[in-house]
Amino acid sequence: MPPKVTIRKEEWEKRLHDVQVTKSDLNRLIMDYLVIEGYKSAAEEFSQEANLEPPVDFESIESRMDIREALQRGDVEDAITRVNDLNPEILDTNPALYFKLQQQKLIEYIRQGRIEEALQFAQDELAPRGEESPEFLSELERTMALLAFESAPGAPPAIAELLSPAQRLKTAGEVNAAILESLSQGKEVKLVGLLKLLCWGETLLGEKAEYPKLNVLSGTFVDK
Amino acid sequence: MTSRPGRSSSIPIPRSASSTSGRNIESLIPIPFVSPGRQAAMQGTSGRQPTEPRRVGPEGPRSVTTTHNISVSPVRSTARSVSLVSSVPGRTSSSRPPFEPRVIRGAPAEHIEHGPPQSTSPSQARRVSMGTVRASVTQPTIVPQHVVSSSTAAFPRPAYLNYSSLRHFLQTDAQPSTLPSRVAESPSAASSRAQSYLSSVSSDNDDESSLASVPLPTRSSNHVAAPMPQDQVLRLPTRWSEQDRHHNLNVFSDGRELSFQGPSCSGDKEGSSARANHKIPPACGIYYYEVEIMGKEQKAHISIGFAAPKAKFNRLPGADPHSWGYYGEDGSALSPDRNNVHFGPPFGTGDIIGCGIDFSANVAFYTRNGPVFENIGRHGDLYPSVGVQHNGEAIRTNFGQARFSYDIDYHVQQQCHATWSKIITTPIDYTRLREEPSKPTSASNASSNTTGDNTTDTNDEAKDILNQLILSYLVHHGYAQTAKAFSKRQKDRTASSELLDNSSSSKVKLDAAEAKVGTMEDDIESRTNIVNAILEGQIDSAIDTLQVKFPEVLEADNHLIFFKLRCRKFVELILETAEMKKKLKDIHEKEIEKPTGPDYTQNTWASEDMDMDVDDDSAIPSEFHPVLESGTNWNGTGPSTGLDTTTKYESALNEAIVYGQTLSNDYQSDPRPEVQQLFKKTFGIVAWEDPLTAGGATAELVGQGARVTLSHEVNQAILRSQGRPAQPALETLWRHISACITQLGIFGVGVAAFADMERELLQ
Repeated sequence: MPPKVTIRKEEWEKRLHDVQVTKSDLNRLIMDYLVIEGYKSAAEEFSQEANLEPPVDFESIESRMDIREALQRGDVEDAITRVNDLNPEILDTNPALYFKLQQQKLIEYIRQGRIEEALQFAQDELAPRGEESPEFLSELERTMALLAFESAPGAPPAIAELLSPAQRLKTAGEVNAAILESLSQGKEVKLVGLLKLLCWGETLLGEKAEYPKLNVLSGTFVDK
Repeated sequence: MTSRPGRSSSIPIPRSASSTSGRNIESLIPIPFVSPGRQAAMQGTSGRQPTEPRRVGPEGPRSVTTTHNISVSPVRSTARSVSLVSSVPGRTSSSRPPFEPRVIRGAPAEHIEHGPPQSTSPSQARRVSMGTVRASVTQPTIVPQHVVSSSTAAFPRPAYLNYSSLRHFLQTDAQPSTLPSRVAESPSAASSRAQSYLSSVSSDNDDESSLASVPLPTRSSNHVAAPMPQDQVLRLPTRWSEQDRHHNLNVFSDGRELSFQGPSCSGDKEGSSARANHKIPPACGIYYYEVEIMGKEQKAHISIGFAAPKAKFNRLPGADPHSWGYYGEDGSALSPDRNNVHFGPPFGTGDIIGCGIDFSANVAFYTRNGPVFENIGRHGDLYPSVGVQHNGEAIRTNFGQARFSYDIDYHVQQQCHATWSKIITTPIDYTRLREEPSKPTSASNASSNTTGDNTTDTNDEAKDILNQLILSYLVHHGYAQTAKAFSKRQKDRTASSELLDNSSSSKVKLDAAEAKVGTMEDDIESRTNIVNAILEGQIDSAIDTLQVKFPEVLEADNHLIFFKLRCRKFVELILETAEMKKKLKDIHEKEIEKPTGPDYTQNTWASEDMDMDVDDDSAIPSEFHPVLESGTNWNGTGPSTGLDTTTKYESALNEAIVYGQTLSNDYQSDPRPEVQQLFKKTFGIVAWEDPLTAGGATAELVGQGARVTLSHEVNQAILRSQGRPAQPALETLWRHISACITQLGIFGVGVAAFADMERELLQ
């Protein structure tokens, strides 16, 4: 291995200066984030203030967020109705997603202590699906195990986590991604890609050269 | 991937290098331009038709595409690419006014003459004419840059290279391949270009003893200053080298043909080889060239491939340990690690062999049979190379001068896409992202802390970082309403999940963020108002707001910003008078159709007088009065229709002069050259009747562009006064990553070519 090249801060900053990127390029990245992450009003304001064409109908952001909120509230039925209002094909063509929603519904029954309804629902709706795939079945078993414990804190973590807010968020995230896909909108935020690219590029360059270290959040450099 | 590579004749599977490249190539193999047997060659042209339907490359038919893509090369008129190469000597810099690029006149004629001679080669008539047509279409755009080209027909960068993120560095300008290039491109100096870059960046790099000290003749003048990557030109091979070849091989026809004259070689490894004039820049990502067999042999004693600078010219590519080749006589693959392995069909007269190298996976490939030679190009430079053994054998090469027979664009596109998909699965190293730069940790240590969680796409931690970056970006640019809506929404969201979750560290952060936005909102608004006021020419209003909200900005740098604003105010006043005067003139011109008496002449005289008197900018304040007086004179007797305007004009002019005098009094004794120069330039504009149409430096000083620059400067000064960075962290991040990728490309890391931020994230 040849010795590493050292690039000084002044030199590096000069190169940064020469990189061609415009405000409107960055504005579009921000808009992408606002849309995908569902910041409807911010996206609207931004479209005005930055004079940007909205990439999607703002209403679709709204309905996506309504669905997300319904799931975070625990109102799975409402979420399913809204998804179907938006585009019935989303759930029709994605049995795994539909199962997850049904599972979430079962979880919500159990959370509310509506045991009878929970059992009924599990038998009517989930059991037949559990037969379709072993994966569904084990998820169903895991969920039903919640009934075995009087209170959530007593349950093993793998089971108790079903009652956590993270579980709702996870389901909501999957529904969000499916909807974005149906709108043929990218589902991965481009700015996340940027962070990945940073990690990729810095690692590779670190093998070849010493170069100034960027503090990502403050945007300042320090020589190594 | 367990099969033994190279043993089976028809299923090429890469051993390990990259399954994606293997897959892609395999999918492409079924569309060779010439089917393996020689029958196809006999059938002639139909077999060579390119596979148009598969084309997924840039839009449209090839000729159009090419023309279009050419504009991607340095003269492309969009700001981005122009300035990418802006520091290349002899080109227009983006900072210069747009009317300047005179450099590029006059060259086209020289190039038209490249067409006809080529098409005289009978065996190549068809193809060459294609190339010629294409060339003539593209000449007007391309030629001007190749100021240096002379001995070789210049051609645009082949379209497939536009997939490289470093395309702007890749140039086909053929240097005169006469004497100087011998020096520049001799083996010992082969990597001198890159070395000159490296060694100028750091002093501790001399891995190959002789190199670092070889100064490049063309570069010696600015060798002292570390050249920016933008200065770098990565030259593409464009022809066979006149120097770096065996003496039995002769170079013909613009350097594209080689023919063997001499006693045929008998040994297995003996042969005469040549290499191209430039080494292949790994920044290509994938490099590709095609060789057509022109000799009469059905099984050519020719090897086609790649050679390192050290390879000897009396060996076939692949027979020397520093080279790789595909040999026509028996279809074997010759390489340093495994000699004479059967690889593909034999080839001979009329066949076209496509030969490529993928620097992102370090594997070579032939259109005949897919990938081969893993780990090629990992260590050191490579040239396209061909070796010939028998008298009378000849080849013709397409380095990109003509349309390729193989759909290399599609191939590259696939590979590019696959590589990007891989890059984008890199896990995010959150410890790295949150690192304080003051901590002296090295990058390699940090990367071992990687949270190997690449299943989440936008997880909370990434969101948290991005939210901070976005908020600071919005605040920086004064998107107050967006910032408000953004942080409010974040708070609502957190609050709603708080109901269930009590781990509220993120809530605290958000509260802080919102508070920040709250107090900043007022600032943002004032800042936006100031910027807008300057953009509209309302300098007084900008100054007033500054005085109330950011008085320290006006005081900073010994009132430099304040001075600049006042100069601008003067410019605005002068512009106003110029505007009025134009109106006035219009009125007078209408008046002249009626009998108006002697006033008109006096009017003309007056304006002439003004222009001349004011011309001397060193003495402006005192020179102003005569102009004013003469103006008053003719106003007094002027036509009644223009009276209102005239009066207004008079007072406006008066106001401007008074303002100018005050300015002069205030800054006359300021010792700063910067101040004096701006002062002088600013008063200079008075010399023009209409400074806006004056062109050149004057127009630059008064135009909207100057307002934008000033508003930007003021915005930055305000941000600085608040202890905030002059550019949003998000923008710095983007620039940093881009610089990393460019640097990797310059270092010869091929995979960087397919990390194209612009294409992947902005389109």
